[in-house]
Amino acid sequence: MIVKTVALLGHKDHGKSTLIGSMLMQTGAATQVRIKEAEAYSKKLGKPFEPAFILDSFHEEREQGMTYDTTRAQIKYKDIAFSLIDVPGHEELIKNMISGASYGELAVLLVSAKSDEGIRDQTKRHLFVSRMLGIERLVVAVNKMDSVEYDESVFNNIKNGLIGFINRIGFRKEDVDFVPISAYNGENLVEKSRNMPWYKGSTLIDAIYGSFENARENYSSGALRIVVQGVIDQERKIIAGRIISGRLEISDRVDVLPIGKSATVKEIIVKGKSIDAAEVGENIAITLDNDIGSEMRGNIISKVGSGPRVTDTVNAKVFVTGSIGNKPSVKFNGIDVGCKGISVLDVIDTTTGEKTEGKDAEALNAIDAKITFDRKLPVENYTVLKELGRFVLYSAGEFAGIGIIED
Amino acid sequence: MIKQDLNALEEKSIYIIREAKLKFKNIAALWSMGKDSTTMLALARKAFLGKVPFPVIHIDNSIDFPETYKFRQDLAKEWNLDLIVAQSEIKPDLVGSACCGKNKPETLKKVMDEHGFDALIVSIRRDEHGVRAKERYFSERDKDFKWDYKNQAAELWDNYSSKLDKKGHIRVHPLLDWNEIDIWSYIKQENIPVNPLYFSRNGYRYRSLGCTHCTVPLRSEAKTIDDIISELETTVDEERSGRSMDKEREMVMQRLRSLGYM
Repeated sequence: MIVKTVALLGHKDHGKSTLIGSMLMQTGAATQVRIKEAEAYSKKLGKPFEPAFILDSFHEEREQGMTYDTTRAQIKYKDIAFSLIDVPGHEELIKNMISGASYGELAVLLVSAKSDEGIRDQTKRHLFVSRMLGIERLVVAVNKMDSVEYDESVFNNIKNGLIGFINRIGFRKEDVDFVPISAYNGENLVEKSRNMPWYKGSTLIDAIYGSFENARENYSSGALRIVVQGVIDQERKIIAGRIISGRLEISDRVDVLPIGKSATVKEIIVKGKSIDAAEVGENIAITLDNDIGSEMRGNIISKVGSGPRVTDTVNAKVFVTGSIGNKPSVKFNGIDVGCKGISVLDVIDTTTGEKTEGKDAEALNAIDAKITFDRKLPVENYTVLKELGRFVLYSAGEFAGIGIIED
Repeated sequence: MIKQDLNALEEKSIYIIREAKLKFKNIAALWSMGKDSTTMLALARKAFLGKVPFPVIHIDNSIDFPETYKFRQDLAKEWNLDLIVAQSEIKPDLVGSACCGKNKPETLKKVMDEHGFDALIVSIRRDEHGVRAKERYFSERDKDFKWDYKNQAAELWDNYSSKLDKKGHIRVHPLLDWNEIDIWSYIKQENIPVNPLYFSRNGYRYRSLGCTHCTVPLRSEAKTIDDIISELETTVDEERSGRSMDKEREMVMQRLRSLGYM
């Protein structure tokens, strides 16, 4: 069965974990044991039954009523399985949100309809980050409709309050749906709620399902790109790597970058078997007719003369989660690379999407920056090939943000 | 239970196992002779041209099932495994989760110190337990094996953490994405040898295997791999329902894992 990943987004306490818990129960994916266990723990805490406890498995999470770290749970609907990725909504846990949401193919944004909740900074920041993570399709679930007597105007106000921001940061109108729900009561999740007759659209699960049905396939440019993991047999010089784009055949002439040597492919082994050609997504082992050496990790193999650009300087958009200092480092395709410098060109307010004056990269903002690495790397723009156009930023060994290469 | 695309799972696991082997100087894997860790070894053989490229550790408390010991002996020979048997001593005053929380991690600590392992492959899966579902593919443990679950490293875009405090290690979880039914479907597809205790005898089978003291068989008529797969398609029971330590008190898995249990 095909499994599609769905990242839940939104401000803390707007109902992400509760929604997943309810979806697991309504689709029959949660076992009785887990439901009973969540019931017993709710009771112990003197609370009404909390479906979020099916997900929130640490006692700290339950006692404090907050999600600390990301997790996943699967449901089945028609012919697709969805892996629902829960993330924390607290801004100080943004690294865990990024870790989870980075695996999402689609996002469901939770916005609480309650008058004292509504559209918050984290609501918009999560959207901003999800776009940087490459998520293109979005369902906005306006939650807790039961607490505003299922009032259509509350739903419309939230919709109108968000749509401008959503479009400004790059979601296309046709890729965004809005659904009014009550996660706790299970309304408009899998079955239509009778309390919102004014709403004529799909249930949440149908909106998710439909957006995968209409998904545009993202074919890569087709140019061969293999990320080299390393040499797995020193004697026979067998190189292991993954094809992230294109197709490799025996006798292909290839470049190895940034080492800068060329060679001909002698043998391709996939899952223990010698084969003539390998495709995108496959983890391969190959031998070449030219000794490239054993320090190959992080190199990119391409067809001769058509490789990615090799450079030590890039312009990138960076979402900052902590102090980046003067000399951060990046993780890029499995290798750690130092930076000689990073200069801030613009600061982007992630709650408005607008560029503001400033040279300081403060946490939870984004920056346009010019970054100089301490060596040359094979890179592509993020929009051309995401795997070669993104990096994770560290400062003094601590996670400090994520970046995408724009030029 | 949801059956996923085996090819996608296999590719991801091979990638992670290769990353682990190539990133760390001295890596080992835990092998309980159960279905999951044996499947992991089959994947490692695929990733590394037919040979498991790291030592495999069995934490042996001497009270595993006879079938398990025979399986260990046979497969170690057939797959030419570099097997390390780490003998742990069962203390009569420690039972259930106290035993698992103390004996196994302590023995593991000892063997990891002796060999200087900096990373350990552990074949846990997200669908086994809510606490395991909170794990990363690469997860840090400090020198006391503590899991700082409230402050896990960021993990995205196939860039796995290899941050180590001096005496700690990294747990590597290549099977995190797999469901129980995927494991069995893969065992069938690849013809991977399994412990006979998984199959029904006299109306009972072991669905999850631990030691003789704490594991009970469940009612089942599944005598073949196909039977097991059909059983799992419709089951409403938890996989570890035959593991008594999981049920002693609430939140026992979190306590065990924070103490270094696998």
